Amino acid sequence: MFNLPTTNIGGPELFVLEFGDIVTYFSPYTAALFVFALIFTVLAIVSRPERQVDFAFGGDAYYTKVVDPDLLRFQRFMAIACGLATLGAMVTGDVFNFTLFASMVGITNIGIVAAYRNRHVLNAAFQYGIVAMLASIPLFGGAAIVLASTGTLSMWELFGGAMAVPLIAKAFLVLGVMGEGMAPFYIAKAEITRAQGAPFILMVHVSSLLLFLRVTEIVISM
Amino acid sequence: MDVAYPVGLVVVAAAIIIGFTALVREKDDLHRILLTDLAEILALVLIALVATDLAEALILPGLVVGISELMAVSEVYIAKEGLRAPTGPPFRIEVMNSAPGILALILVAYGIVLSGFTGGVIAAVGAVFYFMCRGHTEQFELIETVSGYAWAFWIGAFFIFMFLPGYWFFGVMIAGGAILLKVMAKMSLVGTMRGGGPDV
Amino acid sequence: MTPNRSIITRISVIISRVENLTALYALLAIVVVVLGLVSLPFIAYQNDQLYEKTLDPESTLDPYDRGGVPFGTTPVKAQYPENSPYAGYVTAYLTPFSQWLADTTHHMGTTIVAHPGGIIDEILYNTRGLDTVVETSILFVAFGIASYLFRRDS
Repeated sequence: MFNLPTTNIGGPELFVLEFGDIVTYFSPYTAALFVFALIFTVLAIVSRPERQVDFAFGGDAYYTKVVDPDLLRFQRFMAIACGLATLGAMVTGDVFNFTLFASMVGITNIGIVAAYRNRHVLNAAFQYGIVAMLASIPLFGGAAIVLASTGTLSMWELFGGAMAVPLIAKAFLVLGVMGEGMAPFYIAKAEITRAQGAPFILMVHVSSLLLFLRVTEIVISM
Repeated sequence: MDVAYPVGLVVVAAAIIIGFTALVREKDDLHRILLTDLAEILALVLIALVATDLAEALILPGLVVGISELMAVSEVYIAKEGLRAPTGPPFRIEVMNSAPGILALILVAYGIVLSGFTGGVIAAVGAVFYFMCRGHTEQFELIETVSGYAWAFWIGAFFIFMFLPGYWFFGVMIAGGAILLKVMAKMSLVGTMRGGGPDV
Repeated sequence: MTPNRSIITRISVIISRVENLTALYALLAIVVVVLGLVSLPFIAYQNDQLYEKTLDPESTLDPYDRGGVPFGTTPVKAQYPENSPYAGYVTAYLTPFSQWLADTTHHMGTTIVAHPGGIIDEILYNTRGLDTVVETSILFVAFGIASYLFRRDS
């Protein structure tokens, strides 16, 4: 069909779909991540929200928390969008395209947690929002440095080993994904998991984990 | 070019250090939003340093991502602080009764002639002005629907480009029309959204 | 804060406060940039770039002229030209009105560039169309968040 510089990109390629300059691909590694993301996206679509019960300590009294249907619909929408963004980030074959998908994961993550009325959770969502915004600087900056120093953004060219990608660009990419995926800040994630709506909150964790696995592959292969 | 690029990089690195140091020291949330917005320009500078047509094209997604995140985060800030739009006497001047129809018409028509991003912005200014003068409650739903359709058209145009490249002309026309609608809808929504008070 | 806390306790107290998250992340970024600053002067600009920028002050489309004749082939240095057989067509196409503008005056380049089929759109519409799809989706999602939060209170 057309000539790609390599047929062996992170293992034997299983399927290639070209969108102009952006050639998405499935290798065993990315296909495994893709399937994983797909399973959780389907789970987000079909699952019902968690119903939380608060117990009054030292007595028999308890009260159940009501799930607002509007909130439920909004969170489900965000979780599905987050799943789709993760799917895209897993299979894309272009560095800048990957950074865009990562930003989308970041913003949907904010959306999932920002829907609550709880001041505490909103505050945490706000702080994550600021970090996600900041993260777009190293993320896009890393992609721009890759483009400037190698003259291409396609992973098919970059993975060959013929191109020397500066270390700072790789560090920027990892730093950016850290910010978007909030992955190293798990301590503070407890603030978010305190809120109800388990299957959708789960999407935050799954997406950041998968993003990390993917950026590791990109940085190592470049 | 050979010397200019590393020099530019060093300048950007210095700017990142300055901007992020400010963020480390800043404790107030509102100021953090402003500083972050300022710092995001550095990402665009890094892309612009590449200085090709491709970089020109990549700046646009970078800019849009920054703006959308800013919009979402500031809305979270408002919800977090529980801020309310202040209520006061409605803002009324004579021109708001006589002008909206004709001015909005001119701006929207000119925007449609321009089309694309610029056209969308100009048409949106017309729409915002019209809603500002005439009230906007029932148009809200309509604009959102239009915006959704425009998004779908855009995706359709993308698939034409990718799978039926021979029909590129239709792709251009659909995408151009869709982006006009989209930018216009988004702009006028953003313009009227804060209208809790009586003045807008 | 009691004076005889260990250093680890102090650090973990700082880290556990969600308000310090931004500062922590900014600090991390500063560390990376400072370390990277040493290597920055050695990053060479690759002169063999895709979609190179050419400036032609004589053109009526200046500074956005990317060459090509309408409905004809235009040499565009795309990454995978095989994937975009009609690359360059979008760049070169001008609507009749903008063609008239281009023929009439030398000063409307910025206006003309805003048209569909205007000059900047080629890469975004065609060869890197997926980028734009993601970008518009991000805007869509952000708008969804903003309008949900806005409307919930009103």
